[in-house]
Amino acid sequence: MILTENLTKSYKNNPVLSIEQLEINRGECFGLIGNNGAGKTTFFSLLLDLIKATTGSIVSGGIKVSESEDWKKFTSAFIDDSFLIGYLTPEEYFYFVGELRGLNKSEVDAFLESYKDFFNDEILNQKKYLRDFSKGNQKKVGLISTFIGDPKVVILDEPFANLDPTTQIRLKQLIKSEIGKRELTLLISSHDLNHVTEVCSRIVLLEKGKVIMDKQTTTKTLQELEDYFSA
Amino acid sequence: MSTSLFKLSRLKFMRAPQLDAKLAIKIIMGLVILYFGGALLMGGIAVYPILSDSVPEKDAISVINSILIIILIFELIIRYFLQQLPVTEIKSFLLLSIPKKRIIHNILFRSLISVYNVTPFLFYLPISVNLYLDDYTAVQAVMWWLSITSFSLSLNFISFLANKNNKLLATFVTIIVLAYTSERYFDIEILRRAGYFFDSVVAQPFLGIVPVLVLFIFYGITFRFLKENLNLEGALGTKKEIARTTQYDFLDVFGTSAFFLKNDLRLIIRNIRPRNIVLMSFLFLFYGLIFYTTQEAQSQEMLVFASIFISGGFLLTYGNYVPAWDSEYYAFLMTQNISYKEYLDSKFRLMAFAVVVSTILSLPYLYFGLDTYLMILSGAIFNVGLGTWITLYGGLLNKQPLKLNVKAKAFENTQAFSGTQFLLVLPKMVLPVLLYTIPARLINYGDEINHTAGIISLALSGIVGLVFKKQILNLMVKLFAKEKHAMLAAFNQK
Repeated sequence: MILTENLTKSYKNNPVLSIEQLEINRGECFGLIGNNGAGKTTFFSLLLDLIKATTGSIVSGGIKVSESEDWKKFTSAFIDDSFLIGYLTPEEYFYFVGELRGLNKSEVDAFLESYKDFFNDEILNQKKYLRDFSKGNQKKVGLISTFIGDPKVVILDEPFANLDPTTQIRLKQLIKSEIGKRELTLLISSHDLNHVTEVCSRIVLLEKGKVIMDKQTTTKTLQELEDYFSA
Repeated sequence: MSTSLFKLSRLKFMRAPQLDAKLAIKIIMGLVILYFGGALLMGGIAVYPILSDSVPEKDAISVINSILIIILIFELIIRYFLQQLPVTEIKSFLLLSIPKKRIIHNILFRSLISVYNVTPFLFYLPISVNLYLDDYTAVQAVMWWLSITSFSLSLNFISFLANKNNKLLATFVTIIVLAYTSERYFDIEILRRAGYFFDSVVAQPFLGIVPVLVLFIFYGITFRFLKENLNLEGALGTKKEIARTTQYDFLDVFGTSAFFLKNDLRLIIRNIRPRNIVLMSFLFLFYGLIFYTTQEAQSQEMLVFASIFISGGFLLTYGNYVPAWDSEYYAFLMTQNISYKEYLDSKFRLMAFAVVVSTILSLPYLYFGLDTYLMILSGAIFNVGLGTWITLYGGLLNKQPLKLNVKAKAFENTQAFSGTQFLLVLPKMVLPVLLYTIPARLINYGDEINHTAGIISLALSGIVGLVFKKQILNLMVKLFAKEKHAMLAAFNQK
């Protein structure tokens, strides 16, 4: 689904990311881990053409992201709170995203109905603008909005951070069920080794912009990662 | 505390990521401030002698006094919309061991050092000096200055209080409206009496104590208000509004672009900064009154100029920052399923829509005759066809993010003003004047000016812009794609 070749990003000759080749397969749940500054968000930003690569290329769904904007049709992402429109109510935000992905109001309503548990009665009909919600509840809105219109590629940067324990567990179930429902290529990054090894079928470990480890998840993966990070 | 705060703001500036660009902007800003300051100072120096010469039968100071109240009302309006007391800075000091009282006094005093408070020194002080030079005693001159200055500084606090308290705001608006109507329609002199008050100060200087007392009272009220509300829910917090999900179905007549129009409408209505700017753009509708009421004294060029302003108010105020209004969620928009073309086209439509609305609202100008209105109409066609694109081009080069739900700081609106944008004022303002004047003066058949030729030429230019809209849009898309990453990087700086 996604293929990167010779991808590097440097700021003023200071390399922050350098990946020779990486292929993410269709339907894969791809977990990206690494300490602060490892290059996780940089990698995602490159995939979304939010920053320009210093060298190399990214092809997503057969489209070179730096040259055509057609990848937007099958991709969605939630990176940080700049992905929310603060002056909208959650409903309006969902309708906005829905309309961009060809869903009308009642289709979006039907979609939201199935995520009722995840929202825990804290999101819909609150008479509040998104800017007045807590960080955790804002995140819930952002996360759910990425699934509107069944995009083929979903990119989530640290989806578990800021969420309360109940919602973290629900998010794991939700991700698993989304993967089970259809062919979804899901990319997530996380600092929580437990969560990421539980939901992802493949783990890539970055350090200082380089791939240190690239493995299919097994029962031993969590232990290996814990050993690596405590060393 | 003040010096350490100053140091922080200096560091913020020096360590800003785009120092070069910011430096250029600061220099331009400095020039703008210098210009306005200079204009104010010149006005202050010149107004007294000019009035003495032109209305010798009246006291010059009395004439000035009679309009002071109007100036003060204007000042209050401007302060209300634009000025912000630096209260949010208090937050970081609340937990330090500094007495609350001292923090508040410090904030209130520092609020006096603001661009909004230069009028007393640049404008009123020269008048007062003139007063002294013109046979009045030093006491009279000083007390006159002190009283108008006290009123002006009182507004500093009144505007803050009115911003926090809707009842107070309503009271002030009612007083002003009542005073105006009673003066205008019932011949009860309320506003004029304000002028008499300043006359009395000149005659009996001890009366100048009254405004000083007023200043102290408002200082006291503001102090008490802050002291009681110095917490995150009161004076330091933002008002939490009750939100309603709205659909604006009436806009559906605009088809696919209705969707974006709706969102821009929400942006304007629900955020302080765009709301204030759009309210101000309505003032442009009245701009023509200055020129058309004195039509005989104006050259045709000036009248064209005015016509462009009437329909273009929205372009000049809101339009200049068009992608920047979306800066808070720009990364989101750039990853959504919106093509650059659709996005830019929606912005074009928004601006064109605003021009059409302004043109409809300007129908009362028919009072000045069909020729005048046709001029406004041709100016509007220029604004729709070309003005929109010139504005959008300037907006795309603007790399200053905007915070939506806070008021602009003094002259901050000029900050998002790059050198290129500065140059773009020329085509936006001068081009229409040329488009009118050149044919009007060349094809004149012996008359002095051929109004019809000018109007046709101006309208035609707008129509040409509309005919080639596709091509222009494609050019803009190219520029947009080229600037995309630089804009994302710039908008990410908070």
